[in-house]
Amino acid sequence: MNVRVSLSVAFSLAVLFSALPIWLPSADHAQTASAEESLAPRETVSETVVANLEQANLEQANLEQAEFKQAGVCSRCHVVSVLEWSLSGHVAAETSCQSCHGESRAHVANERNEIEPDRLPRGDAIAAALCATCHESGCPNTLEMQSCQDCHHVHALIHPSETAVEEDHHLQQLLDRWTEFQRRTARGEELVLEEQWQPARDEFRAATRLVPGNRRAQQRLKMCLRRIHPEMPGFTRFGAEVNQETGLPTKVRVDELEATMLLVPAGECDIGSEQLPDSRPIHTVRVGAFYLGRHEVTQSQWEAIMEANPSVHQGEGFSDADRRPVERVSWDDCQEFLRRLNVRVAGGGFRLPTELEWEYACRGGQTEAHVQFAGTSADASEGSPRWPAASRQSGDLVNHAWSRTNSLRSAEQADESQFLDINAYAPRPVGTLRPNEWGFQDMHGNVAEWCADRFRPYLSAFGDHHALEDGDGVLTGGTVMRVLRGGSYADAGVALDAAYRHATRPQRRLRWNGLRLARNVPVVDLDGPSDPVEDR
Amino acid sequence: MSCEYSRRQFLRHGGGLVAASATGSVILAADQPAPIREYRRGGMLYRQLGDTDLHLSALSFGSHINPALRVAAKSGGTLSEQGQAARDRHISKAIDYGVNMVDTYENAGQWQPLARLVRNQRDRVLVSICRQFPNFVGNNIDDAARLYGHVDLYRIYVGDGERVSDATLEDWDVMRKAKQIGKVRSIGISTHSERMMLSALEDLDGLDYIMFPYNFIHARADYSEFLPAAIKKRVGLIAIKPLAAGSIVKLDPRAPPGSTPENSRIELYQKSNRPLLPAVVRKLTDSVNRSPDESLCQAALRFVYSRPFITSAMPGMFQEHELDDNYAALQNHLRLSGNFQEVLEAARHLCQVRGREWLPPHYRWLDQQWRV
Repeated sequence: MNVRVSLSVAFSLAVLFSALPIWLPSADHAQTASAEESLAPRETVSETVVANLEQANLEQANLEQAEFKQAGVCSRCHVVSVLEWSLSGHVAAETSCQSCHGESRAHVANERNEIEPDRLPRGDAIAAALCATCHESGCPNTLEMQSCQDCHHVHALIHPSETAVEEDHHLQQLLDRWTEFQRRTARGEELVLEEQWQPARDEFRAATRLVPGNRRAQQRLKMCLRRIHPEMPGFTRFGAEVNQETGLPTKVRVDELEATMLLVPAGECDIGSEQLPDSRPIHTVRVGAFYLGRHEVTQSQWEAIMEANPSVHQGEGFSDADRRPVERVSWDDCQEFLRRLNVRVAGGGFRLPTELEWEYACRGGQTEAHVQFAGTSADASEGSPRWPAASRQSGDLVNHAWSRTNSLRSAEQADESQFLDINAYAPRPVGTLRPNEWGFQDMHGNVAEWCADRFRPYLSAFGDHHALEDGDGVLTGGTVMRVLRGGSYADAGVALDAAYRHATRPQRRLRWNGLRLARNVPVVDLDGPSDPVEDR
Repeated sequence: MSCEYSRRQFLRHGGGLVAASATGSVILAADQPAPIREYRRGGMLYRQLGDTDLHLSALSFGSHINPALRVAAKSGGTLSEQGQAARDRHISKAIDYGVNMVDTYENAGQWQPLARLVRNQRDRVLVSICRQFPNFVGNNIDDAARLYGHVDLYRIYVGDGERVSDATLEDWDVMRKAKQIGKVRSIGISTHSERMMLSALEDLDGLDYIMFPYNFIHARADYSEFLPAAIKKRVGLIAIKPLAAGSIVKLDPRAPPGSTPENSRIELYQKSNRPLLPAVVRKLTDSVNRSPDESLCQAALRFVYSRPFITSAMPGMFQEHELDDNYAALQNHLRLSGNFQEVLEAARHLCQVRGREWLPPHYRWLDQQWRV
């Protein structure tokens, strides 16, 4: 089912259900009140809620989704809780479901809901174990360390003076906040169209204070701040194009390396493949904006930083070696390269992409997982029952990827020798084939690209994907293998698939493994007018 | 409630959980049945290959072709029409006996004939392939996968040095990818060096099996360092040269005429028909004669089969009676009688006192490896 539609419906249900405790009389009331009395407020509130929500859903579809996306997999079931959490001050304090309930992997994986979360704090325990970590002096009103849930709702949304049985006062307050929030954001968008960045910033800032957890408003605020303060240490702007969503230049240059990096806009897409055992299951991920090298790191770029070139394909017979990708580098070598690069370039922050970032960029905006080779007209066809994926033909992949089908050093070799050894193949200079939809070249083939992640099955990482915002997606706790993506000139067929995951030891230097640079976008301080601060 | 049952485990043991859900109970991981490691069907014994889902027959069919019937070919040599017909007949008979693994080597010109033979019985036959050097592993696997649909066992010969080379690590990377994709079901190596085997256990991730020489004669048959490490890592072990490259066939005084696998020139008796070591040969002959229904080769194979860590043995078989003989070793029991313990001891002694000449000339270099 379409994710946007489902989340809109979820939101509607959320607010409806969140109102339920207010409409329904308490247990004591139920014993004395007549049926007519108990139904009367329900109809009044329902009409109000539905009318407001219909308008809200239509006009602010993106806004409503933000909280649920941020809550990740939890929002699929706990709609009411996520909504309460999103409207409470706890979002501003950067809490998440996991803050109180633990990672709860088994609970997430158990679709029949037989396994409870790791922690379900109740009563006095919640005060001592959780609330006190932030509210050190106890309840701000009573100044006592008591159970927060005695007065507040489970997720600490409702003010103690507004108990649940006091009709719909609390709900009305929420709806008023939403209305004001919507007015502010709409005004902000109008100002953005007029390129009045500072007034727009003020509107979005006010909106984020009304609903602290709203990611969309935060993004627009960041965009305005970036427009006001466009400086980016370590980057030279390359072209005038600016991403309208983020306010970031789409193309930048790293002068020290003479390398071009392109902005990968924030978004979500389906990654994985059901036909590749290590890529199951297909699942949706959300990735924050980041910069990624347009090409793989070349031998000359590596040499400029490391003062040595470990590549096999250099010297005699490789006159254009400096433009070929560096290879025979281990993951550990890459870390040393990045360390030196970050010292040399102002602002630093260069890193390897996470594999989710890599796949997201490789798919180039194609959000459906069945797209194997972004940028191509590659098609799937039937193959052997045992390896159907491996026999799929790759359409015009030869125009996008240097693979074993087109990377022979000379055509004569194929005719002269019955057997071709690995030396018959070689990577080619970067950027000589067509780019994908977002402008990245050689994502498939040429050299396989190291990613930051340790390799581990997707399933166990499932609950962590919501944490990928702002590139903080390096998975830990898996095996010692590090992930490689994209396949290489020595691969053919499905090993070049966007979803194909390979991994090897971080110390291993193989002649087809290279790297591509990634860098976080500069983070901005949402509360102050200060300049952007590079995230290291 | 705490529960260690992950989603992965849930999927793996889905059947049990589905059944459990029907009765409203949840089965946790504690009572999972152990995987079947060994079973018999007909007269054949099958064993699990390491940690893979493959069960190999204890007797498997090797890739060597009869040199007497070899003719020159572009690929390096193949069989004459008559020799090919004989080999096809032998393989068919072996499959009927329950042999389910057939090894083949491109350079021996056997890819196409084997593909023709097993095309309609891939569910019964596991195809084992060794990399054709210097062909790039990726090409070799793709060619084989196209021909056979998939390859069940793929291996590379990694040499007999001390450590796995960088080139081998690169080949291994390609093999792992082929296995991930499903072109190959298990990947392994072959070598004659214990040092190399130990290095492979340490350096090659996802190693499914090792083919290595294993028989009762040679000096390092116990592989005291390697075997415990391999068993601990649950790596499948396939014995090659279980009859010491055919040398054991010729040690048997009752070996029928024509039993000359691997063009062995080793002679139990010199041309003058005088025993080389009269006392040892007499003892050997006496011992063998006390068991008229069993041959020395059967005893040698039983020695290998009786090791539970050996998944399969791959003796060279050029003659039909050799196949029958090797198969018969599996029929009754795998224990060695006291008499045959003596036979093997006598044969071992004979080989050791004769130094490197106990092996056929083209395998004598192995003696150095085994005696290191």
